[in-house]
Amino acid sequence: MLERLAWLIPTLPLLAAAWTGLGMLGGWTRRESAERPTALVVSGASLLSLSLLLALSIKSMISGPPGQMVLGSWFGSGDYQVMISFSLDALGLSMACLVAILCLITQRFSVNYMHREAGYQRFFMVMSLFTGAMLLIVMAGNAILAFVGWELAGVSSYLLIAYAYDRPLAAVNATRAFVTNRIGDAGFLLSIGLALLWIGDVEWPRILQADIPGALTAGLMGFGFLVAALAKSAQVPFSPWISRALEGPTPSSALFYGAVMVHAGVYLVIRLQPLLEQAPLLMALMILLGGLTVLYGWLSGLVQTDVKSSLMFSTTTQVGLMFVACGLGWFEWAAWHLALHAIWRTWQFLNAPALMHLATRPARQVPDWLRRRPGLHAAAMQRFWLDPIADWLLVRPTRSLSQDVRDFDQRIINRIIGLPDRAGALSTLAQWETLKQQRSRRKGDVGIARGVAGRLVQWIAGLLYWFEEHLILKGGGEGLERGLKLIGVYLEHVERLLSQPRYLLLMIMATFVVII
Amino acid sequence: MAAKVIYHEGRLIYSKVLDADPEDSFLTGMGILTFLLILPLFGAALIAALPSESHRLIRVVALATASLNLILACGLLFSFDTSQPGLQFVEVQRWNPRLGETFSLGVDGFSLPMVLLATLLSLVAIMASSSIDRQVKGYYFLMLLLEAAMTGVFMALDWALFYVFWELTLIPLFFLIDRWGGINRHGAALNFFIYTMGGSVFLLISLLVLFDTVPGGTFAMVDIAKAAKSLPEHTQTLIFLGFLVGFGVKMPIFPIHGWLPLAHVEAPSPVSILLSGILLKMGSYGLIRVSGVLPKGVLELQDLLVALALVSLIYGGLLAWRQTDLKAMIAYSSVSHMGLVLFGIATLNLAGLTGALMQMVAHGLVAGALFLLIGLLYERTHTRDINHYSSLVRVTPRFAFFTTLTFVAAVGLPGTVGFIAELHALIGGFERWGWLVLLLSLGVMISAAYAIRTVGRLFTGPVRAGMHELSDLRGSEMLAATVLAAGIILLGLFPAILLDLMSASLTQFSLSFAGVQ
Repeated sequence: MLERLAWLIPTLPLLAAAWTGLGMLGGWTRRESAERPTALVVSGASLLSLSLLLALSIKSMISGPPGQMVLGSWFGSGDYQVMISFSLDALGLSMACLVAILCLITQRFSVNYMHREAGYQRFFMVMSLFTGAMLLIVMAGNAILAFVGWELAGVSSYLLIAYAYDRPLAAVNATRAFVTNRIGDAGFLLSIGLALLWIGDVEWPRILQADIPGALTAGLMGFGFLVAALAKSAQVPFSPWISRALEGPTPSSALFYGAVMVHAGVYLVIRLQPLLEQAPLLMALMILLGGLTVLYGWLSGLVQTDVKSSLMFSTTTQVGLMFVACGLGWFEWAAWHLALHAIWRTWQFLNAPALMHLATRPARQVPDWLRRRPGLHAAAMQRFWLDPIADWLLVRPTRSLSQDVRDFDQRIINRIIGLPDRAGALSTLAQWETLKQQRSRRKGDVGIARGVAGRLVQWIAGLLYWFEEHLILKGGGEGLERGLKLIGVYLEHVERLLSQPRYLLLMIMATFVVII
Repeated sequence: MAAKVIYHEGRLIYSKVLDADPEDSFLTGMGILTFLLILPLFGAALIAALPSESHRLIRVVALATASLNLILACGLLFSFDTSQPGLQFVEVQRWNPRLGETFSLGVDGFSLPMVLLATLLSLVAIMASSSIDRQVKGYYFLMLLLEAAMTGVFMALDWALFYVFWELTLIPLFFLIDRWGGINRHGAALNFFIYTMGGSVFLLISLLVLFDTVPGGTFAMVDIAKAAKSLPEHTQTLIFLGFLVGFGVKMPIFPIHGWLPLAHVEAPSPVSILLSGILLKMGSYGLIRVSGVLPKGVLELQDLLVALALVSLIYGGLLAWRQTDLKAMIAYSSVSHMGLVLFGIATLNLAGLTGALMQMVAHGLVAGALFLLIGLLYERTHTRDINHYSSLVRVTPRFAFFTTLTFVAAVGLPGTVGFIAELHALIGGFERWGWLVLLLSLGVMISAAYAIRTVGRLFTGPVRAGMHELSDLRGSEMLAATVLAAGIILLGLFPAILLDLMSASLTQFSLSFAGVQ
């Protein structure tokens, strides 16, 4: 019975987010007095989810976890069916409990921390959205449902990094973080597609237990998921986005990048254990990238001068260690590490704003051996130039390509097709009005077209117009009338001649001649 | 009912029992269709009897007559059996037995939508006539006379009667344009008259040749159709060419459309509504009827028909694009839209013919609504030049709404009746000619170009001095526009209402061509 209510767990926070959003749209939560009900609704929803989860956990501790729960069909097309299903096994339930507890604590923290901030309602809405999304990721019974949560978490992280959207830096960083995460999403989507293609199903148990022919296919499918996990968990080479993510308010940093969201990648890897174990190359890749991240995080962390950045790099290091553990096959160890690390890091992050009051001794200096190696020191200070490298490798070529395409579009395509009425060139209303007035002074300017095709049509239309004017209207209509008038005039002449007596006599005589 | 009704191969026909039954009097055979015909005449007579100063009373009588007629026509709808492909409500009276002419009326799936359209648009036109203040009595008298003649054309079951009604529409129209028209009204009226009379000559010759071939010496459509099927192909082609010229002038088809722009521009707006809404449909209706009579001839000329249709479609569209005069633009767009009707007819298959008939209804509603709105706008601004308009959406939002709706329906936006018509014509054309329908799409694209351009010019842009005190649509104008707009949307969303009405007749009609091939 209780398992049947599992769908409520991620839905309740989402509903709370929807309610808060509606309140913002409707305007009934504008005033400061509305802070309390908003906080109540959001934390109430989280609390309800948590209680449900705890009840489920206790029940599964007594009678064993319920495992895969299929609640119904979501959508289908042809042979493919996507279900609404939840993985209520030990991993899913424990992770969900962890997420729910941490989210609830952070929400409670934010009630005071965000008090009288301009975007209080917005913050709580996104927070609730994120809670729902995270719960969906860890509880989803299939890849597509998990992907929904994955994307919602990405969107809410974007919204929270850009919380102070009036600061250009925040907006840029939010975009950067989101776009980096999209690389991982592409991998996720690739794997979902491959699963549908090779297995015909996206339920986690089917994907994990399927008899996949060959290590290559398993590797390819696992690779997509792994890219998604690496991007979400900010491993090398995707690491730089996480330091940019510090733009958001502290509780959100704590929740997203310190404690919960960075671990989503590790969770995914643990969930996919049987699949990854079929592909030794991927395991090696995890050890390599995890190890690189450990080095990267450790060295960069040593030279940081602010609290949040050093916490962030130490988080990256710890998550890198989890990946190394997974790569070595110690998945359960990684899961324990994950849970403990998440709790510890949340405590640290939530303390960060008050660190100056709590600290009893000055921060440790950069160790001597690092100071003696200026090259390494500089590299650590520059965070191993990962951002500039990504700029140089990806951003700049993409930008120049898009510039080229734009030039091609403007110089060639637009000239051939033709834009209507210089739509692109006007930016101000005043410009537009002068143009409008100038244009309306000219008479008969309809039927003007731009571009090669437009000119061709214009030329043909002009030709037809001439034809219509001269041959059909003048020649046909008026010409007919004129012709009739002319005939009328001639007939009148004939009539006048005939009515003269001499011609009548002549005719009578002619008749006689004919008769005779 | 006066006639002895006979079912033959599932099709309702009637025999000439009249000669055998000389006692038959006129009144015993009077049915609903005759009543539909007589009612406007009666209204016109009543108006003639009223004093010419009482403008209000005359208008009320005209409105009441037209409304009653519409209600009567709708009543026809309810007792119409849609499963029956043949003629229904048939009435036959003795008229001129020596020449084989009968006064016989009836409707089927082709003519009933047209009768409904004619009565509806007549009412709309009379509603939109509130600005007529000269010679009011004569105006409404002629309008009702015109309504009677138009409905007569669609209901006639005898070619002689058809021809009489056909010519009868000319007389009120000539005077309506000549007396109440714009500056060049005399030229336009004369031009219109000469053109249509010229077409009628060919029509009459073809009719007489057909009459000559029928052994019994009768003008009845059913008898002629039976007899003409056995004519050799060559003769059928020649006769059909005569009909094509006759009906093509009215429709109009490309080289013989010269009367249309002038007449539409000069005619008073309510007359333009009737002219483009119904008068043009008489041509296409006649063409469909005659195709059933001369199937071999039509099949012979099918390629010519489709060529003319495509030329009309693109030619009319391009010229509409070039016009600065709003009424001339709508006039040329009518040429373009009637090209689509001809295209549908030329396919001679079920989908294409359905498209043609749908387009006749769609264009009736759309062109009627356009002329109504532009006419009302002209009354307020006294200019038809598109360059003189700007930003009316702020001043007259209702005008903007209805005009935009009508223009997108003219382009064939899904959700409007124009889409259903274009889609059917496209499918029918593809079945018959394959990729040639690309040209049809080109025509549709051109129509989108001028329609969107016009909407943009009229309703967007900076507010122009002198245009910001226009009054928006009022009471009866609003009602008229709403009725047409509702028709456009209703038939666009639920085309089955209309399709059911005509499907039985259309199916049988299209099958008759398959048999000939």
